[in-house]
Amino acid sequence: MKTLYVNVRYLIVPVMTVITISGLYFGGIYAWIGVFLFGLNTIIDTLTKDIHLRADFDSEGNSYGIKAFQYSVMYLMLPTFILLQIFLAYNLYQFVSLEAITAIELIGATLSCGLWAGLGIIYGHELSHNKKEGFKVSRAIMALSGAAHFTYAHVYNHHLDLAHEDDPATAPRGRNVYAHAWLSHVGQSKFSYELESKKLKKLGKYFFSIDNKWLLGYLYSLPSIILFVWAGGIIGIFALLLVWVISNFLLEALNFMGHYGLIREHGKPVEHRHSWDNDNLFTSWFFIEIGRQCDHHVRGETYFWELDDVKGPNYGIGYFSLFILTLIPSLFRKFVQKHLDHWDEHYATEAEKNIINDLYPTLAGNEVASS
Amino acid sequence: MIFSAFKKKKNFRAQISPSEQEITINKGETLLSGALRSGLAWPHKCQVGSCGTCRCKIIDGTIRPEIDFNYVLDPADVASGFILACQSTLKTDIRVSVNLNQ
Repeated sequence: MKTLYVNVRYLIVPVMTVITISGLYFGGIYAWIGVFLFGLNTIIDTLTKDIHLRADFDSEGNSYGIKAFQYSVMYLMLPTFILLQIFLAYNLYQFVSLEAITAIELIGATLSCGLWAGLGIIYGHELSHNKKEGFKVSRAIMALSGAAHFTYAHVYNHHLDLAHEDDPATAPRGRNVYAHAWLSHVGQSKFSYELESKKLKKLGKYFFSIDNKWLLGYLYSLPSIILFVWAGGIIGIFALLLVWVISNFLLEALNFMGHYGLIREHGKPVEHRHSWDNDNLFTSWFFIEIGRQCDHHVRGETYFWELDDVKGPNYGIGYFSLFILTLIPSLFRKFVQKHLDHWDEHYATEAEKNIINDLYPTLAGNEVASS
Repeated sequence: MIFSAFKKKKNFRAQISPSEQEITINKGETLLSGALRSGLAWPHKCQVGSCGTCRCKIIDGTIRPEIDFNYVLDPADVASGFILACQSTLKTDIRVSVNLNQ
């Protein structure tokens, strides 16, 4: 029974994605169901903000998670997200060629698709840490959002340079989520481009080569572009762009929340204190434990169902609730300042305090006392 | 009994040089995970194949690389047998050289 509970609880996104696809199929008001579910999740997440659970292990320390089941689900999410795009294309075709649906329905379908394609990044992220075929599925899922570069940048840049200035995915203090979304996306793509350039040069191969994973990643997005141009022409391009903007914004918002303002000394190992945890019940189950960032960044290839609360820095609320706060930068800064003050006082090393004072001499509240 | 010859081997042995320790690596387990599980102070940092801290040299035996080592190691080093322990599962028993006192 415990095994069933531990494994089934991570099916919220798969189930809701299928419901969103059904909404796109039935059309009308149902085209908005993906947006409605996103709002509903925000409410549930906020209501469950104080419920925090530990990972589940039996008396011998073995996890109840079933790898074959969880991997099957994650792999199945690739065709599921492809279906999501196909059904949006179907809506586009109905709008442009048949004039069978209204603009409001098309907007609802596009927003629904964008939001749930964006939530697909949790599988792209998890599989990026599990090599061979999992890595390829991760690339394919991310390519549906035009972000196949993420898989390489996440492993070779983010996990190595976390909380350094040279990690585009770590947001420095004072930056807002809108600026971060753009800077992090472009920064990670640039990193992936340079990574491939260096690798190809070392191997004596041309930049335009089938071994160039950066280029290949963008080519993987071509089927989506062709589908949307075919289904909706210029409107199709705008719809796909909107889907990609929304999904990439959600991806970068997760990066933004996961490490905002944290500092690590160059050359020092990544420790629990270099990430923020968001691990209330709903966030943990919905985002397949991606909110257990503190443990994840120290044990990068640990399966998500084995990640645990390591008593690292914790926002105390879930991703949905925090995401809403990030959308209003002044509100987010006010919320996060007390957490940063606590981090500076209780987690930062002397060297990290010095870096903070060097980096942020003018930011209010950042006069960090060295003992 | 006769069919036991067809059974797939589950675990492999890794002999560590120059410390001459021997550890067991489970099927599907990375060399680094097995080494850490056995209590060896194998140098490591990121555990996701990006920092190169767990690099070591295969003297004998075969491994299965989980990622392309050329992103982190020099191709000449890869050709001469250097691997990343955190991204290597074993295909045979191996003998590997690593400095455990880093």
